[in-house]
Amino acid sequence: MTDTTPEDHPLEQLPGDLMMWVLIVSELLVFGAGLAAFLGVRITDPAGFASAQDHLHRAAAGINTLVLVTSGFFAALAVRASEHGRIARARLWLVAASLLGVVFLVIKAFEYLEKARQGIGIDTDTFFTFYYLMTGFHAAHVVAGIFILGLVGIRCTPRTVEVGAAFWHMVDLVWVLLFPAIYLLR
Amino acid sequence: MKLLSDPLMRAWVWLVGLSLGSTVIATSVARIEGLGITLAGAAILVLAWAKARIILSRYLGLAQAPFWHRGFSTVLAIYCAGLLGLYLIA
Repeated sequence: MTDTTPEDHPLEQLPGDLMMWVLIVSELLVFGAGLAAFLGVRITDPAGFASAQDHLHRAAAGINTLVLVTSGFFAALAVRASEHGRIARARLWLVAASLLGVVFLVIKAFEYLEKARQGIGIDTDTFFTFYYLMTGFHAAHVVAGIFILGLVGIRCTPRTVEVGAAFWHMVDLVWVLLFPAIYLLR
Repeated sequence: MKLLSDPLMRAWVWLVGLSLGSTVIATSVARIEGLGITLAGAAILVLAWAKARIILSRYLGLAQAPFWHRGFSTVLAIYCAGLLGLYLIA
Protein backbone atom coordinates (compact mmCIF):
# COMPACT_ATOMS: atom_id res chain seq x y z
CA MET A 1 0.00 0.00 0.00
CA THR A 2 1.23 3.47 -0.81
CA ASP A 3 -0.10 6.64 0.78
CA THR A 4 -0.31 8.58 -2.48
CA THR A 5 -3.63 10.17 -3.39
CA PRO A 6 -4.94 10.56 -6.96
CA GLU A 7 -3.99 14.27 -6.70
CA ASP A 8 -0.33 13.25 -6.24
CA HIS A 9 -0.24 11.42 -9.57
CA PRO A 10 1.77 13.41 -12.14
CA LEU A 11 -1.07 13.37 -14.67
CA GLU A 12 -3.39 14.90 -12.09
CA GLN A 13 -0.89 17.71 -11.47
CA LEU A 14 -0.78 18.74 -15.12
CA PRO A 15 -2.68 22.00 -15.56
CA GLY A 16 -5.38 21.99 -18.24
CA ASP A 17 -6.17 19.20 -20.65
CA LEU A 18 -3.79 16.29 -21.38
CA MET A 19 -4.58 16.36 -25.12
CA MET A 20 -3.68 20.06 -25.30
CA TRP A 21 -0.32 19.21 -23.73
CA VAL A 22 0.20 16.46 -26.31
CA LEU A 23 -0.48 19.07 -29.01
CA ILE A 24 1.80 21.61 -27.31
CA VAL A 25 4.68 19.13 -27.04
CA SER A 26 4.28 18.01 -30.67
CA GLU A 27 4.27 21.63 -31.86
CA LEU A 28 7.33 22.42 -29.74
CA LEU A 29 9.12 19.42 -31.28
CA VAL A 30 8.35 20.66 -34.82
CA PHE A 31 9.45 24.23 -34.14
CA GLY A 32 12.41 22.99 -32.08
CA ALA A 33 13.62 20.82 -34.97
CA GLY A 34 13.21 23.73 -37.40
CA LEU A 35 15.16 26.09 -35.19
CA ALA A 36 17.95 23.56 -34.62
CA ALA A 37 18.11 22.98 -38.41
CA PHE A 38 18.31 26.76 -38.94
CA LEU A 39 21.29 27.09 -36.58
CA GLY A 40 22.81 23.91 -38.02
CA VAL A 41 22.69 25.21 -41.61
CA ARG A 42 23.98 28.59 -40.39
CA ILE A 43 27.29 26.85 -39.56
CA THR A 44 27.91 26.42 -43.30
CA ASP A 45 27.58 30.15 -44.07
CA PRO A 46 27.59 32.41 -40.97
CA ALA A 47 28.62 35.49 -42.97
CA GLY A 48 25.85 34.97 -45.54
CA PHE A 49 23.27 34.49 -42.77
CA ALA A 50 24.46 37.67 -40.99
CA SER A 51 24.28 39.62 -44.24
CA ALA A 52 20.75 38.37 -44.98
CA GLN A 53 19.69 39.08 -41.39
CA ASP A 54 20.57 42.77 -41.92
CA HIS A 55 17.47 42.99 -44.15
CA LEU A 56 15.21 42.10 -41.23
CA HIS A 57 13.42 44.71 -39.15
CA ARG A 58 14.71 43.94 -35.65
CA ALA A 59 12.76 46.75 -33.98
CA ALA A 60 9.45 45.51 -35.46
CA ALA A 61 10.21 41.98 -34.27
CA GLY A 62 11.18 43.35 -30.83
CA ILE A 63 7.85 45.20 -30.62
CA ASN A 64 6.08 42.02 -31.69
CA THR A 65 7.78 40.16 -28.82
CA LEU A 66 6.41 42.71 -26.33
CA VAL A 67 2.99 42.44 -28.00
CA LEU A 68 2.94 38.64 -27.73
CA VAL A 69 4.19 38.37 -24.11
CA THR A 70 1.60 40.99 -23.11
CA SER A 71 -1.07 39.06 -24.99
CA GLY A 72 -0.02 35.92 -23.09
CA PHE A 73 -0.34 37.90 -19.84
CA PHE A 74 -3.91 38.84 -20.79
CA ALA A 75 -4.72 35.20 -21.61
CA ALA A 76 -3.37 34.15 -18.19
CA LEU A 77 -5.56 36.82 -16.56
CA ALA A 78 -8.55 35.40 -18.48
CA VAL A 79 -7.81 31.97 -16.95
CA ARG A 80 -7.65 33.48 -13.48
CA ALA A 81 -10.90 35.45 -13.99
CA SER A 82 -12.75 32.35 -15.25
CA GLU A 83 -11.51 30.34 -12.25
CA HIS A 84 -13.02 33.00 -9.98
CA GLY A 85 -16.33 32.78 -11.84
CA ARG A 86 -15.89 36.20 -13.48
CA ILE A 87 -16.92 35.09 -16.95
CA ALA A 88 -17.55 38.60 -18.34
CA ARG A 89 -14.11 39.72 -17.22
CA ALA A 90 -12.54 36.55 -18.64
CA ARG A 91 -14.13 37.32 -22.01
CA LEU A 92 -12.73 40.85 -21.91
CA TRP A 93 -9.21 39.54 -21.27
CA LEU A 94 -9.63 37.02 -24.10
CA VAL A 95 -10.70 39.82 -26.46
CA ALA A 96 -7.69 41.89 -25.36
CA ALA A 97 -5.36 38.92 -25.92
CA SER A 98 -6.88 38.30 -29.36
CA LEU A 99 -6.58 41.95 -30.37
CA LEU A 100 -2.88 41.90 -29.54
CA GLY A 101 -2.64 38.76 -31.65
CA VAL A 102 -4.10 40.79 -34.53
CA VAL A 103 -1.56 43.56 -33.85
CA PHE A 104 1.21 40.93 -34.07
CA LEU A 105 -0.11 39.77 -37.46
CA VAL A 106 -0.41 43.33 -38.80
CA ILE A 107 3.21 44.10 -37.86
CA LYS A 108 4.26 40.77 -39.39
CA ALA A 109 2.35 41.61 -42.60
CA PHE A 110 4.18 44.96 -42.85
CA GLU A 111 7.45 43.09 -42.38
CA TYR A 112 6.59 40.68 -45.22
CA LEU A 113 5.47 43.57 -47.47
CA GLU A 114 8.75 45.38 -46.84
CA LYS A 115 10.66 42.25 -47.87
CA ALA A 116 8.52 41.85 -50.99
CA ARG A 117 9.25 45.46 -51.98
CA GLN A 118 12.96 44.68 -51.65
CA GLY A 119 12.46 41.71 -53.96
CA ILE A 120 13.16 39.25 -51.15
CA GLY A 121 11.18 36.00 -51.28
CA ILE A 122 11.25 32.48 -49.89
CA ASP A 123 13.70 31.34 -52.61
CA THR A 124 16.11 34.29 -52.29
CA ASP A 125 18.57 32.29 -50.21
CA THR A 126 18.70 29.63 -47.48
CA PHE A 127 18.31 32.18 -44.69
CA PHE A 128 15.09 33.55 -46.15
CA THR A 129 13.74 30.07 -46.88
CA PHE A 130 14.04 29.33 -43.14
CA TYR A 131 12.81 32.83 -42.25
CA TYR A 132 9.60 32.53 -44.27
CA LEU A 133 8.91 28.91 -43.33
CA MET A 134 9.41 29.40 -39.61
CA THR A 135 7.86 32.83 -39.13
CA GLY A 136 5.06 31.96 -41.59
CA PHE A 137 4.29 28.69 -39.77
CA HIS A 138 4.34 30.60 -36.49
CA ALA A 139 2.02 33.30 -37.89
CA ALA A 140 -0.38 30.52 -38.97
CA HIS A 141 -0.42 29.37 -35.34
CA VAL A 142 -1.17 32.93 -34.22
CA VAL A 143 -4.19 32.91 -36.59
CA ALA A 144 -5.28 29.54 -35.16
CA GLY A 145 -4.75 30.85 -31.63
CA ILE A 146 -6.95 33.89 -32.23
CA PHE A 147 -9.66 31.56 -33.57
CA ILE A 148 -9.33 29.29 -30.50
CA LEU A 149 -9.45 32.24 -28.08
CA GLY A 150 -12.62 33.38 -29.87
CA LEU A 151 -14.18 29.93 -29.52
CA VAL A 152 -13.38 29.62 -25.80
CA GLY A 153 -14.69 33.17 -25.34
CA ILE A 154 -18.05 31.98 -26.70
CA ARG A 155 -18.07 28.75 -24.68
CA CYS A 156 -16.45 30.32 -21.66
CA THR A 157 -15.80 27.89 -18.77
CA PRO A 158 -12.68 27.64 -16.58
CA ARG A 159 -11.65 24.45 -18.40
CA THR A 160 -12.09 25.77 -21.96
CA VAL A 161 -10.34 29.05 -21.14
CA GLU A 162 -7.39 27.19 -19.58
CA VAL A 163 -7.07 24.92 -22.63
CA GLY A 164 -7.34 27.80 -25.12
CA ALA A 165 -4.87 29.94 -23.17
CA ALA A 166 -2.41 27.01 -23.05
CA PHE A 167 -2.34 26.92 -26.86
CA TRP A 168 -1.77 30.68 -26.90
CA HIS A 169 1.12 30.39 -24.44
CA MET A 170 2.68 27.72 -26.66
CA VAL A 171 2.61 30.25 -29.54
CA ASP A 172 4.23 32.76 -27.17
CA LEU A 173 6.87 30.24 -26.06
CA VAL A 174 7.83 29.40 -29.63
CA TRP A 175 8.21 33.09 -30.50
CA VAL A 176 10.56 33.89 -27.59
CA LEU A 177 12.90 31.21 -29.00
CA LEU A 178 12.43 32.05 -32.71
CA PHE A 179 12.87 35.81 -32.30
CA PRO A 180 16.43 35.85 -30.93
CA ALA A 181 17.68 33.01 -33.15
CA ILE A 182 16.39 34.45 -36.43
CA TYR A 183 16.51 38.20 -35.79
CA LEU A 184 19.25 38.82 -33.24
CA LEU A 185 22.05 36.25 -33.30
CA ARG A 186 25.09 37.47 -35.26
CA MET B 1 4.75 47.42 -5.42
CA LYS B 2 1.59 45.52 -4.46
CA LEU B 3 1.11 44.67 -8.14
CA LEU B 4 4.54 43.03 -8.24
CA SER B 5 3.51 40.62 -5.48
CA ASP B 6 1.26 39.00 -8.10
CA PRO B 7 3.31 36.17 -9.71
CA LEU B 8 1.62 36.73 -13.09
CA MET B 9 2.38 40.44 -13.11
CA ARG B 10 5.94 39.71 -12.01
CA ALA B 11 6.32 37.18 -14.82
CA TRP B 12 5.10 39.73 -17.39
CA VAL B 13 7.50 42.40 -16.05
CA TRP B 14 10.39 39.93 -16.29
CA LEU B 15 9.40 38.92 -19.82
CA VAL B 16 9.26 42.55 -20.96
CA GLY B 17 12.58 43.30 -19.26
CA LEU B 18 14.34 40.26 -20.72
CA SER B 19 12.93 40.99 -24.21
CA LEU B 20 14.17 44.58 -24.04
CA GLY B 21 17.51 43.29 -22.74
CA SER B 22 17.89 40.97 -25.74
CA THR B 23 17.11 43.78 -28.17
CA VAL B 24 19.52 46.20 -26.46
CA ILE B 25 22.32 43.59 -26.56
CA ALA B 26 21.62 42.87 -30.26
CA THR B 27 21.63 46.59 -31.09
CA SER B 28 24.91 47.14 -29.27
CA VAL B 29 26.48 44.26 -31.25
CA ALA B 30 26.71 46.63 -34.22
CA ARG B 31 29.38 48.55 -32.33
CA ILE B 32 31.51 45.62 -31.21
CA GLU B 33 33.60 43.00 -32.97
CA GLY B 34 35.13 39.55 -32.58
CA LEU B 35 34.63 37.72 -29.31
CA GLY B 36 32.22 40.41 -28.13
CA ILE B 37 29.70 39.41 -30.82
CA THR B 38 29.90 35.76 -29.77
CA LEU B 39 29.45 36.62 -26.09
CA ALA B 40 26.49 38.85 -26.98
CA GLY B 41 24.93 36.01 -28.97
CA ALA B 42 25.41 33.61 -26.07
CA ALA B 43 23.83 36.15 -23.71
CA ILE B 44 20.85 36.54 -26.07
CA LEU B 45 20.30 32.76 -26.07
CA VAL B 46 20.54 32.62 -22.27
CA LEU B 47 17.90 35.37 -22.05
CA ALA B 48 15.67 33.40 -24.49
CA TRP B 49 16.01 30.35 -22.24
CA ALA B 50 15.05 32.46 -19.20
CA LYS B 51 11.95 33.79 -21.03
CA ALA B 52 10.88 30.30 -22.07
CA ARG B 53 11.23 29.11 -18.46
CA ILE B 54 9.02 31.94 -17.21
CA ILE B 55 6.32 31.16 -19.79
CA LEU B 56 6.37 27.48 -18.85
CA SER B 57 6.25 28.03 -15.11
CA ARG B 58 3.93 31.05 -14.81
CA TYR B 59 1.84 31.42 -17.97
CA LEU B 60 1.39 27.67 -18.54
CA GLY B 61 1.13 27.05 -14.79
CA LEU B 62 3.80 24.37 -14.47
CA ALA B 63 5.01 26.02 -11.25
CA GLN B 64 1.98 24.28 -9.69
CA ALA B 65 3.06 20.89 -11.09
CA PRO B 66 6.60 20.16 -9.78
CA PHE B 67 6.98 16.85 -11.64
CA TRP B 68 6.21 18.38 -15.04
CA HIS B 69 8.06 21.58 -14.21
CA ARG B 70 11.25 19.61 -13.58
CA GLY B 71 10.79 17.57 -16.76
CA PHE B 72 10.05 20.49 -19.06
CA SER B 73 12.80 22.63 -17.47
CA THR B 74 15.38 19.88 -17.95
CA VAL B 75 14.45 19.27 -21.61
CA LEU B 76 14.37 23.01 -22.28
CA ALA B 77 17.80 23.49 -20.69
CA ILE B 78 19.29 20.64 -22.76
CA TYR B 79 17.68 22.01 -25.95
CA CYS B 80 18.89 25.57 -25.33
CA ALA B 81 22.38 24.25 -24.56
CA GLY B 82 22.23 22.48 -27.94
CA LEU B 83 21.24 25.72 -29.68
CA LEU B 84 24.09 27.50 -27.91
CA GLY B 85 26.48 24.78 -29.09
CA LEU B 86 25.32 25.14 -32.71
CA TYR B 87 25.70 28.91 -32.44
CA LEU B 88 29.21 28.69 -31.00
CA ILE B 89 30.39 26.17 -33.63
CA ALA B 90 29.59 28.61 -36.49
